[in-house]
Amino acid sequence: MMTSLLSGQLLFAAAVLGALYALVGLGMNLVYGTMRLLNVAHGDLLMLGAYAAFWWFTLTALSPLLALPLVAAMGAGIGLLLYALLFRRQLAQGLPPEVIEARSLLLFFGLSVAIQNITAYAFTATPRAYRHLDTVWQVGQTAMTGNRIAALAVAGVILAGVLVFLRRTTFGMEIQALIQHREAARIVGIDVGRVQAVAIALGFASAAVAGALLSMTEQVTPFMGFRFTIAAFVVVILGGLGNIRGGILAGFLLAIIEIYAVTLFSSEARSILIYGAFVAILVLRPQGLLGRARR
Amino acid sequence: MGGMQRQDWVALAATLAGGALLFWGGMAAGAYWQVVALTLAMWIALVQSWSLFSGLTGYISLGHAVAYGLGAYLMATQFRELPVWLLIPAGGILAGAVALIVAVPVLRVRGPYFVILTFGLAELVKFLLLRLETALGASSRLLFGAPGTDVLLAWMVALAVAATLLRHGIGRSRFGRGLVAIREDEVAAETLGVPVTRYKVIAFALSCVIPGMVGAVMALRSTYFEVLQVFSPTISFTIVTMAIIGGSGDARGPVLGALFLVGLSEILRGTAPQLYLIIMGVSLVAFVLFAPSGLLGLLRRKGG
Repeated sequence: MMTSLLSGQLLFAAAVLGALYALVGLGMNLVYGTMRLLNVAHGDLLMLGAYAAFWWFTLTALSPLLALPLVAAMGAGIGLLLYALLFRRQLAQGLPPEVIEARSLLLFFGLSVAIQNITAYAFTATPRAYRHLDTVWQVGQTAMTGNRIAALAVAGVILAGVLVFLRRTTFGMEIQALIQHREAARIVGIDVGRVQAVAIALGFASAAVAGALLSMTEQVTPFMGFRFTIAAFVVVILGGLGNIRGGILAGFLLAIIEIYAVTLFSSEARSILIYGAFVAILVLRPQGLLGRARR
Repeated sequence: MGGMQRQDWVALAATLAGGALLFWGGMAAGAYWQVVALTLAMWIALVQSWSLFSGLTGYISLGHAVAYGLGAYLMATQFRELPVWLLIPAGGILAGAVALIVAVPVLRVRGPYFVILTFGLAELVKFLLLRLETALGASSRLLFGAPGTDVLLAWMVALAVAATLLRHGIGRSRFGRGLVAIREDEVAAETLGVPVTRYKVIAFALSCVIPGMVGAVMALRSTYFEVLQVFSPTISFTIVTMAIIGGSGDARGPVLGALFLVGLSEILRGTAPQLYLIIMGVSLVAFVLFAPSGLLGLLRRKGG
């Protein structure tokens, strides 16, 4: 039993899922951290990315991996559009963070309902799937499909890239500064509006890319995003709101717990576990397990 | 309370008249309108109850589907054992009792975190019950010999009237002013001597009682019970959307919000049922952006 639990198979599955969770959590963290927007439609961006990859593959028969830049651009475009239409003026008014949080929650909630049902209207609610890179690679005892390896590799590269971007470039440091202290960031001359626009574009793009990667291994439906919105909240809260590196660690942690729960109990345990973890974290330690309280 | 004032008598008379119109109007207008009246009364009862807690305190609950679901679940499991007139209030008591148990830890969490917590909690309860039902081998339950639409409409209108009067009465009471003080500034309210925790817990539990009874009646209406359908987050979402669209300044807001969305749903049902949820989402965005105090706020502005 112990050896089977430590098998490469489970660890590989946890790594793939963890990378996707980390990517989804990263996007939510950027948007929350820089603007205090609570994006409950985050999973719906993932869903749109998954549909984009599905249609790309179905219509062009080319690898969805080639479509990733397009999918990212789509996510970024939606983010910028929403920023310009809904949030820029509100954020510039200097409202207290609680008001921004509450209002953005309701706005994104309305958007989520609309996006899901527009998608269901356009593409029907029928689950869609396609087969791509599904040859099995055997490494020792571990069987890995090509699409999962690709998902892990791409997500890993993006995560590493974003971390380097945040730590090594001026612009990345401006984002971090904004996350840490909004007013101080403004005083030292950071163009807050521009940084916010980039953060929302980056956050939405990463969600859409995560969806495209996921579409290679899971069925695509208009309502698939919900689970990932919740997972993103778990990851972000677990890692500490606004704490980028904590969030990435938390993504892998959540994936490990989930994969083992499904293996030890049943696939139904997955939802109970994710929502149970979510409730427990919020009630017991809303400031996050890995992060410090910010405020 | 300090006795009933003129506006309380007006509210009482208007509510009773509205209830009478809903019941006899629905009954007289034929089978289709009976169902519409039932649906409208259901949403009014749910949104008024929700508004009693969330409207007054500002703690937005996305978990009221659980109260509704618990009432429905009690009805679905006990329908053959106990009489309906007992099970409907029992559904309310069950929902209120569960709310009372979870209230203390849950209400410590504030602001938007409370909102997403109630949503997560509702989903957790849904999946736990789904697992319980699977373990019991009951993926769905049928209710044979449920009362007719006329009886159910009478129950539902009575619940809508009761919820409206309760919302009005509490809004005008000392208790209600305490709840509003919590919404304005919780710390200040506590300093001024409002028993914040006790008020929040009582209001939360109270706001779940009538939804539990509504759920019990609706289980009789659909004669079919399935966890995923009854504990659906769409119910909580619709409640919140109706409340925002209507406005939660007083007991008229929930009625306006319910009328708006039920009307929209009836208009679109025949032609484009999927459009309903899209328009619902877009209306929520529009109201939050342009009319945050809802239809009620727009009416008041018009009235001067």
